[in-house]
Amino acid sequence: MAEGVRVEPDLNFIKFLKKAGGDSMKKCFQCATCSVVCPLSSDNKPFPRKEMIWAQWGLKDKLVADPDIMLCHQCGDCTAYCPRGAKPGDVLGAIRAYAYTHYGFPSGLAKLASNGRNLPILILLPVIIIGLLWLISGGAHIPDAETMRTVGFGHFFGHWEFPWLAKNVAFIDAIFLPAVAFSVFAAYKGVKSMWDAMVEQVAPESDFRPSARQFLVDYLYPSVVEILTHKRFNECGANKDRVKGHLPLLLSFIALFAVTNYGFIRKDIIGIFNPAMHGPIPLYDPFKILANVAAVALLVGMAIIWANRSRLEEEQGAGRTFYDWFLIGEIVTVGVTGFGAEIVRLLGIPSLAYFLYFIHLVSVFMLFFYMPYTKFAHMVYRTFAMAFERFRDSNFVNPAVTDDE
Amino acid sequence: MTDERSAPGAGGVLVVGGGISGLTAALEAAEVGQDVFIVERNPYLGGRVAQLNKYFPKLCPPSCGLEINFKRIKNNRRIRVYPMTEVKQVSGSAGSYQVTIETAPRFVNNNCTGCNACVEACPEDRSNTFNFGLDTTKAIYKPHDHAFPMKYVIDADACNKCGKCVEVCKYDAIEMDMAPKSMTLEVSSIVWATGWNPYDFNKLENLKPESSKAIISNMMMERLAAPGGPTGGKILRPGDNKEPESFAFIQCAGSRDENHLEYCSYICCMASLKQITYVREQYPEAKVTVFYIDLRTPGKYENFRDRFKDDGNVHFVKGKVADIVANDDGGVTVIAENAVTGDKVRETVDLAVLATGMEPAAKSAGAVHGLTMDDNGFIISDAGRGMIAAGCAKKAADVVTSAQNSTAAALQAIQASRR
Repeated sequence: MAEGVRVEPDLNFIKFLKKAGGDSMKKCFQCATCSVVCPLSSDNKPFPRKEMIWAQWGLKDKLVADPDIMLCHQCGDCTAYCPRGAKPGDVLGAIRAYAYTHYGFPSGLAKLASNGRNLPILILLPVIIIGLLWLISGGAHIPDAETMRTVGFGHFFGHWEFPWLAKNVAFIDAIFLPAVAFSVFAAYKGVKSMWDAMVEQVAPESDFRPSARQFLVDYLYPSVVEILTHKRFNECGANKDRVKGHLPLLLSFIALFAVTNYGFIRKDIIGIFNPAMHGPIPLYDPFKILANVAAVALLVGMAIIWANRSRLEEEQGAGRTFYDWFLIGEIVTVGVTGFGAEIVRLLGIPSLAYFLYFIHLVSVFMLFFYMPYTKFAHMVYRTFAMAFERFRDSNFVNPAVTDDE
Repeated sequence: MTDERSAPGAGGVLVVGGGISGLTAALEAAEVGQDVFIVERNPYLGGRVAQLNKYFPKLCPPSCGLEINFKRIKNNRRIRVYPMTEVKQVSGSAGSYQVTIETAPRFVNNNCTGCNACVEACPEDRSNTFNFGLDTTKAIYKPHDHAFPMKYVIDADACNKCGKCVEVCKYDAIEMDMAPKSMTLEVSSIVWATGWNPYDFNKLENLKPESSKAIISNMMMERLAAPGGPTGGKILRPGDNKEPESFAFIQCAGSRDENHLEYCSYICCMASLKQITYVREQYPEAKVTVFYIDLRTPGKYENFRDRFKDDGNVHFVKGKVADIVANDDGGVTVIAENAVTGDKVRETVDLAVLATGMEPAAKSAGAVHGLTMDDNGFIISDAGRGMIAAGCAKKAADVVTSAQNSTAAALQAIQASRR
């Protein structure tokens, strides 16, 4: 310590962390138990001990450019063994919440989506968009049971005779394609800022950079495989049971994504030539079976996640944060209204079915539109942080042979 | 002044615990004329100090302090000592307590000369608790080499009542039919010098102490280094008796940890530094690594720590060991993060010493006797009621501090008895 280092804490950052579940961080006395008991931490500059002192010092810039905060899966082993009750797992969770807001694009929307006080606005926005479009679409009336039986929700936004594009599809596309496109773009902007900040922090010795192919094949692809197999999640000790909720949920999302695409092709492309394909997919269709299995998996997964989170808060005193519960609330709503709308449709109660379908559209919109700023953002940020970890360990950052030698 | 002595209830002082604190409090009170009873659970006096190899910081053997105190006790007719005795019940109030005590049968009477003939005849073994189970004794045994009172004792749980010792004893010292004895003492105040137990390191599950014999506690290290210990003072690895070439001292093993003992046990840093001197005496080239959160060497002890500054084979790593892996060669690998460099450290050593802390011995029993205790089980003195804590029953402390607060406790006990 020959030269002094002036620490310039960001007090607002510390305040944010305290509110987002990191209120215990000041208890840390740097014994480094956490870095050793962490099942995911590497031997080289392990976490989360260093993150704890950076957080205490308010070193925001260091933390948001630290891939380790994203590599943490909040197994909770550190929190269980922490001799001071400083709950490193919760603190890193709070730092992640901050990072999503920090990198969020546009920042106004990111701030909006990270504060529980804005919940009414967050709900109202899609309610107004979807509600208005429903009102002006010409479909704004409750169908009779017979129509519901034959077309399902196919006339939710009305019906026209134009054969190439159903009116309903046109409206759905008009709402969701821009929303998803915006969300993907925003996520790209956020991840790009994170990647750049991380590169700057590790300051690679080499001037060479990986090619796009190297990035995809050597860094991103193995990370995605790791995520799909839950390899790291399975290494967790204390909160091992979280895999039991997360894995069915992840698989159900993939299955539902596939089914949605199948429905699109079947109803809106094949349907052009064979109008019989327009109505609801019959229950015996393999894809419909998959969809229903996935819906059940989603609900079961969410029930487990809900129970685990509640237990974590009750038994380990984890904070009850908007960050955690907003995502749980969103996905539960998507699952319950989606599956509920289907059941009520089959039971033949059009008014309730339409109501649930409306809420379903609203919650799906929220889930994807706010994705880059909420806990859901871990999907992209963690994936790219895992890719970055591979880049960090590569010869691009640590050349085996340097120019000096 | 003499009038106060004859006030009602101006009885004696009961000192519970015959360790260095209890002895100090008892002697200080008795030497100003107070009647004192010492009740001690073990068959010998001296407590934890008797188990040490050396005191810090002067590195003299504990017998030097204890012998003087034993001599003072022998010469003082106001002190009555009850070994193998526990307090069963306390009734009454300040100035007049009736304390029921129960003495467990020793099965050996005052005729014992310590000739050892009985031990040679005894067929049964018991784990030697004085040496923390590192060796065994016969069912009839001498508590330890410097035991006071110097009388043998039979462990009733280990004895098979074969009577062979009775046959060989030339002095009729063994009474197999000895029964527990109960009596009630009338005292005006009670000094609780109940001391401490080493924290049970098996509770430190992440360190897996049961996985290897190379993982020992600091108190076991004292016994290994002590001349009267299981190895005759040679520091050898339990199990295979290897001469260790490398040592890891693992500080705060259970202390400063709200999952175990939330307080600092005060003595462990100095104890480990002291134990490095044991290692140095026997193994001048051995590698020693100390893993710590903060090296706490308060006050003058700072000088003691400086002794190791120039020893190239002693390394201090800031970072708590949170994992230990047993190796096939009998050694262990201890794992910590060096919080200064931020790197994970894996140190493979022949012997890992867990610096376990002090757990107050009265933790569970204290409440039974109506004592006020803090959240950690340390007794809070209530001088007004004549209930006074001394030594490590009061707080985690070194011998010097214990002797000081025991002297203070003696004064409070005298005051309480003359009110």
